[in-house]
Formats: sequence, C-alpha cells, structure tokens
Amino acid sequence: MKKNRMRKINKILEIPQEVYSDVPKISIIGFDEMIIENYKGILEYEAFFVRISTYKGVININGYNLNLETMTNDDIRVTGKIESFDFERITD
Amino acid sequence: MIIKRIINYLYGYLRIVVEGYYIERFINICRNKKYNMWNIKKDNDIKITLNIEIKNFREICRIAKKTHCKVGIKAKKGFPFLLNKYRKRKIFVLFLLIIVITIFLSSNFVWNIEIIEEDGLKIDNIMEDINKAGLKIGTLKANVDTKEIINKVRLDRDDIAWMGIELKGTNAIVKLVKAEKKPEIVDEDEYCNIVSNKNGVITKMNVQDGTANVKVGDTVSEGDVLINGWMEGKYTGIRYVHAKGEIEARVWYTKHKTIEYNTTEKHNTGNMETNYGIKINNFKINFPKGVSKFKFYDTIENEIKVRIFSNFYLPISIIKTTNEEYEEVQKTYSADEAKNLGIQEIETELENEIENKEKIVNKNINTYENENSIDIYVTYEVLESIGTNEKIVF
Repeated sequence: MKKNRMRKINKILEIPQEVYSDVPKISIIGFDEMIIENYKGILEYEAFFVRISTYKGVININGYNLNLETMTNDDIRVTGKIESFDFERITD
Repeated sequence: MIIKRIINYLYGYLRIVVEGYYIERFINICRNKKYNMWNIKKDNDIKITLNIEIKNFREICRIAKKTHCKVGIKAKKGFPFLLNKYRKRKIFVLFLLIIVITIFLSSNFVWNIEIIEEDGLKIDNIMEDINKAGLKIGTLKANVDTKEIINKVRLDRDDIAWMGIELKGTNAIVKLVKAEKKPEIVDEDEYCNIVSNKNGVITKMNVQDGTANVKVGDTVSEGDVLINGWMEGKYTGIRYVHAKGEIEARVWYTKHKTIEYNTTEKHNTGNMETNYGIKINNFKINFPKGVSKFKFYDTIENEIKVRIFSNFYLPISIIKTTNEEYEEVQKTYSADEAKNLGIQEIETELENEIENKEKIVNKNINTYENENSIDIYVTYEVLESIGTNEKIVF
C-alpha cells in the first residue's frame, strides 16, 4: 500500500526509476564500456566473462580483456572488448 | 574524474596482487565493506591486480586471509610515498624549499628595466630620469606607481611625446615615443620675416612678398634678416605681410685635420680570452683565469641577465668579459701619403654632412707641411637655399 503510493508520487515528480528503486540501469558506451548502476555483487570474474548480480537478475558479459574499473557502492564500470551480454531473469 | 585521480594521488594508493580461488568472494566482501577499489584486472585464472587506498590495506589483508587469498604489493604510488623517499634527504628538501621561497619573493621586485623607443630613436639619459622618478631595479612592484612615474618623467623632459610602463613578471617595459622637434611653422596669415640660417654669400634672390634687406653679393651670417615682412607704399604706409621668397647663397664648409708622419696603429690579432663572472645586484664575483697573457688588449664587458621565463628576470646576471689582443704597429707616412690620407678622410666626413652633393661648386684644399706632421684644410663651396621663417613679434 505504502510502496504503491510512493511509486505514484515519484511518477508525478518524474524521478528516474533507478533512483528510487532497485532496478538496475545499464548504459553501454561504444562497444568497449558498460556502466551498471544498482548492482548487488560480482558472481564470477574472468578476463573473458563477467557475471554481475542485480536485484532483478544476473547480467552475463562476454568479451576480451575485461577490466572492472571504478567499483563503487552502487555502480560498476566494465571496460574491455565486449562481445555479447545476456540477462538471467529472476522469476518470482 | 581528474579530481578523483589527484585526490587519490595525494592520499596515496597501492596496487596489489590478490591470488586465490575465491576472488569473487573477496571482491564482494570488500564491496560490502565499502572499500574503494578501481582498475581491477584479471591476469589469469586465479590472480587479479587492483588499486586500493592505503588506509584499507590492513582490513583487506584480513579479508584475503579469510577467503584464502594471498596478497602482494605491486607498487606504491602517491604523495605520501614520495615524501617518505625524501625523508632522509633533509638538506635537499630544505634547499628546494629555500629556492622556491626566494623565487617567490624575488618575483615581487622589478629586476630589469627594458626601454623600447619607437623607430629606434635614442633618447639620452632617459634611464636616469626614470630611476629618479622612482622606477629602479630592485624596487617592490607594489610600490611602482606607473602613472606617477610617467607624469614625473614627462614633466622633467619635453622630448617625449608618449610614455607607457608595463610591468610583466619582473620586467618593467618602458615604451617611449620621441617627440620630434619640428621647425616652427608660421601660418600663412601671420606676418613673418625670412632669416638666414647659415653663413654665406648671396648669389641669387627671388623675392615674392616683402622687402629685401640684402643684395646679391652680400655676406650674411646666421640670424641676419634677409627679407623683411613689411612693404612700404607711397600712399598706404607700412603694411605687414607674410614674407615669401627664395634666396640662394654660397656656403662654405671647412674641415681641418693634422696628420702625423709617425703613428702607431692598433691592429687586432684575432686572439681572444673570455672570463665569466656573476653579478648579484651590485656584488660581483669574478672567475678569473689569472692575469691576462696578452700584452695589449681591449676589454669588452657583456652583461647577460638571467631569466627563467621570457619576462621573469632574476637579480643575477652573468658577466662575460672578452679580452681582445691587439698589436701596435708603427707606421711612417711620407708627406704625399699623409696628405692623400688626410684629404680622403676629410672628404668622406664632409660629404656625409652635405645633403645635396650636386650643388657642390668648388673644392679647395690647402696643406701646410710641418716638421713631423701635415695640416690639411679642405673647403667645400656649396650653393644652398638659406632662410627660414621667423614670426614678427610686435
């Protein structure tokens, strides 16, 4: 009930979704950089494969020479040659 | 992002290597404890390198131990480590500090005065006047009141049309425009006389307005009135006019020289010695190489001001002294040689003086031989128009 009301207020004020909720925001710059906001943690990390867990599911990134640049509390930047990425939805 | 980098550099950071099978767990724990990590790179299956802040290192070691990882430091970067490196070299740091402070302090003074004259016209003694007005080498820049100095200098002198002072770094650039001394132009409407400005004998007269005061063949000297600026009529009485006319006169230019038969002449041998010295304000240090080995020599001193940037002069200058050797050559002229030499020298001097070479009418050379010298007189006779306007003052 309370959550619903908050959502309504936020909708009226046009606050971005990723700010008031746990929804991850993924932005890709070129093919070499990927910024993921609102992430939970790293599940797997190899130079060719990164698995990042979020509140909505898991993001898998495939590529070469993947680095984790600037890890902060709520966003992570992955750089390197990104080949492909996919999501694993959590079904509830 | 650059600010973040600078802050990281100031606080210092470590690049560490973590080795183990539970690296993801290690990263997640670090993240949960909100430790700052960046530039994480996987080297191989079980090894990563990453940057961390210094203050978190101990905690990170503990986490690594918990997750069965090995930690090694790859590089220490940042200002605190640099400081540590120079901790034992106290004198070096002290001198660095002293140099920085002295440069900082000395930048508040004027260490060089550069005078730029428009069109390269030299103005005599301007440096002394500027110094007297308050702009000296070594004065505080804050004490230099450019407006006041300009006013003072311009009051003292009347040959400056414009003056500007610009303080750039430790360099004071004084720009000057020389005022040309113009001949007094007399207005067409005003009454004037024509006055001779040279000594000579008048050969031609052409009076258009006014009354002639002299005749052809008269000898006039400088300052004599040639044409009076008035006219007398039978009925009108004396009427003042603007005198007009052209007067040509024979003018003589004479030069005299005594040439001795036996002279010593300087002759450069081309050998040179250079010495260097340092001058700090008025205190001079020379680095001599002992007494000069030449018997006769000329000394030429060159002062080079030390500067860091184009306009940041320091109160230090390097003095380069050059000794040029010369030989004294005894020369004896015969009477003819001396005569020719003297005539030639005088002629070139005279020809520089006379503007209109075509108007030279006559050349006159007189020589008087003495016991061991010869006197030479050369006279040039030139036809020139003489006369300038002079206002009539009632």
